[in-house]
Amino acid sequence: MFTQKNLILTRSNPCGQGGYQFLYKIGHYGVSLGSKPQEEIQQIHWEADVIRYTSETPLTYEVCHTTELASKTLKFLNDSTLNEFLEKAFEYFKELGSLEKMLPEE
Amino acid sequence: MSLDTVRPSPGFLEHLPIEYQDLVNHGQYGKQYKASDMGKFKELVEEHPMCAGCAMTLFIRLVFIGLPRPEHTVIVGTAGCGRLAISQGNVPFIYGNYGDTNSTASGLKRGLELRFPNQKKDVITMCGDGGLVDIGFQGLMHSWFRNEKFTTIMLDNEVYGNTGGQESGMTMKGKVLKMAPRGKVDEKMDVVGLAKVAGVDYIARIAPTNPGRVLRTVRRAILIGREIGSTYIQAYTSCNIEYSIPTPEVMKDAFAIEKERYGFEEIISERAQKFLDEVEKKKK
Amino acid sequence: MSNAVAKPASWVPKGDLQKEISAEKMLLELPRELQFITGSEAAREAIKRANIDCAISYPITPQSETMQQAGYLFDEGYIKEYYRGEEEIGVMSAIAGASRAGVRALTATSGPGLMRGMEAISSWPGARVTPVLLNMCRVINTPLAIQPDNIEMSFILNTGMIMLHAENQQDFFDYTIAACEVTEHVDVTLPAMVSVDGFFVTHARGPVSIPSDEYKLNRRDGWKNAVPAMDNENPPARISRDAPIQKSNFISYHMHASWQQEVFAAVERSAKYFDVLLKGRVEVINPEAEEFIIASGSAVSQAREAIRQEGENGRTVGLVKVKTIRPFPSAQIIAAVKNAKRILIPEFNQAGWLHKEVCSALYGKCKAEIVNGPRVYGGMTMPTEMILEWLQKTRKDFA
Repeated sequence: MFTQKNLILTRSNPCGQGGYQFLYKIGHYGVSLGSKPQEEIQQIHWEADVIRYTSETPLTYEVCHTTELASKTLKFLNDSTLNEFLEKAFEYFKELGSLEKMLPEE
Repeated sequence: MSLDTVRPSPGFLEHLPIEYQDLVNHGQYGKQYKASDMGKFKELVEEHPMCAGCAMTLFIRLVFIGLPRPEHTVIVGTAGCGRLAISQGNVPFIYGNYGDTNSTASGLKRGLELRFPNQKKDVITMCGDGGLVDIGFQGLMHSWFRNEKFTTIMLDNEVYGNTGGQESGMTMKGKVLKMAPRGKVDEKMDVVGLAKVAGVDYIARIAPTNPGRVLRTVRRAILIGREIGSTYIQAYTSCNIEYSIPTPEVMKDAFAIEKERYGFEEIISERAQKFLDEVEKKKK
Repeated sequence: MSNAVAKPASWVPKGDLQKEISAEKMLLELPRELQFITGSEAAREAIKRANIDCAISYPITPQSETMQQAGYLFDEGYIKEYYRGEEEIGVMSAIAGASRAGVRALTATSGPGLMRGMEAISSWPGARVTPVLLNMCRVINTPLAIQPDNIEMSFILNTGMIMLHAENQQDFFDYTIAACEVTEHVDVTLPAMVSVDGFFVTHARGPVSIPSDEYKLNRRDGWKNAVPAMDNENPPARISRDAPIQKSNFISYHMHASWQQEVFAAVERSAKYFDVLLKGRVEVINPEAEEFIIASGSAVSQAREAIRQEGENGRTVGLVKVKTIRPFPSAQIIAAVKNAKRILIPEFNQAGWLHKEVCSALYGKCKAEIVNGPRVYGGMTMPTEMILEWLQKTRKDFA
């Protein structure tokens, strides 16, 4: 079972191919997690992207492949490796958040 | 539903319909009647709307007399002529979609075994040639491949009688019938052969010329079907209407066809034979 | 040589270790655990707890996984009797036979399989047999494809079967359990079909809360049916339903008409049980809205997201999720949209069978503009954008 911590939204996957999307948020950053239908059940996997939120209402975000966490869409084949990544991500975003607070306002 | 499990309340029996009382007091429940007893007991089927001279009617009557345990029998039939008489018998009768008899019976027999594990219900499918080997072919063959424990009886009048006389898979080659204006192109299907290939435990080919033999065949098929595996009876039951046989000559025709190509044949598997030997030895 | 592993003499079927409870207890009272599983697995979990006597399978994409799992459940002892039939009409006839014996029967099919078995399936309601049919929708030929399109549901609408349309994996579990019990109420005694939109539900994982598998539904009581089981044990009927044509063509129409009325009345009588077990046969969101989306199945999930986004932009859009297609919740829908000005009905089929049902129910009872769509078909899902576009256009056209 994947972690429910910091989960702010569960919805049908907006890609238009079915499945679910789960959005995690820690500060301005987050993870977009998707699971889509596959023709073979063994092929069902997770796709995770690091995202940066651009607004809260309405909830909009951009895919962000420039962090040290992930430079592309990550693929996970089971819940335990996924949860490991999510925990790592939560820690990373918390630190990133405090670092960004220390930067002078632009 | 036997008197072991369901009984009228005392004092109520005399108020039940006379047919019920006659069946209980003078019927074949709990007894095995012989062909020579016909007319001396209350039979399971009495009235019927069949054509005068229909050989199927005689055969169906004999099947009912031959049932070893009518109080625990369910018959599955389908569209055709047979169901007109079978539905008049005092045995539950499922009349479903055309050709579904053997599929339905597969589910029914397994369901009854689950529900009444301490009883053995006899399930019999009784239908015409068209219903079994044309539209019902898949269901028929696969019930045999699965060796389902019930008896299949084909009332072979070699035509689709009920719908007005069209050729069927069991029609002889060359016979002119409706939908075969130039005579049937293919051979009569060898369903006895198919039953052999499918490993049916008891196969019989019979004409209703010897009532005693019909009774014995029916009983054997049902007893083996109850315990061992699939059984099959293919009976020549002529349609005097579509084959233009004058009513007084129907039995003569049955004897003639039996001599020509429908001779009595029994094919019994080893395990079925062993079972029969035990059962028939016990009776003696 | 068989490579099956023989069971030890001490083997106890796992089903025998489960405790029997009612569907109400199982669905409404038992604590549940959250899992993330496919629709096929959710169906398996339901079958495991449904106390099924006889399951008969035949493969067709995308339901094969579920009935394979049923085979494993049989091997473990959760299902008492199981075999693979020869094709769908054979399977559906055998299911009717098993149900007539008075035991609980279940099977599954999709698209072309449903079409192939139609003669048998459509005669279940009149026979008053009570099997549950899981229907994982897929396009009907021609051409052949395996993607989800639920046009096949429109063929069942007038058979007298109970029909439920599950939105997602969770519903697939809940509705299957509910159907297994409701079908067997004496004042119902009808078959039920639980439909889902194929791949989107069966081959995708979703969050499903499930009660413990220590419990199973109460067994079917073969003595309690509107029409006696064909077991030759139920006095006084020796034949459960004498085909009218046996007696006389002349009176057969009379008998058939009254028979049909009984079936369609029984469908309506099942409504009260679903109202309890499904907590209402419709779900309504934003009841005060002026614009409404009425949907069933996966289209509801797409609609929910569209509504959420509209909400973020300050617009309130209402949703009516239809859970049971038969009995159709006309009164509930009429009540839900009484103040609506515009209604959209997104569907995953080109015929718009839900649109027709809704229009029939609302005609003369609702002043809203009922839009004929949006629809997708051939097996695709509806992008949220499409619903948003239609909402926008409808607002402009019918202010």
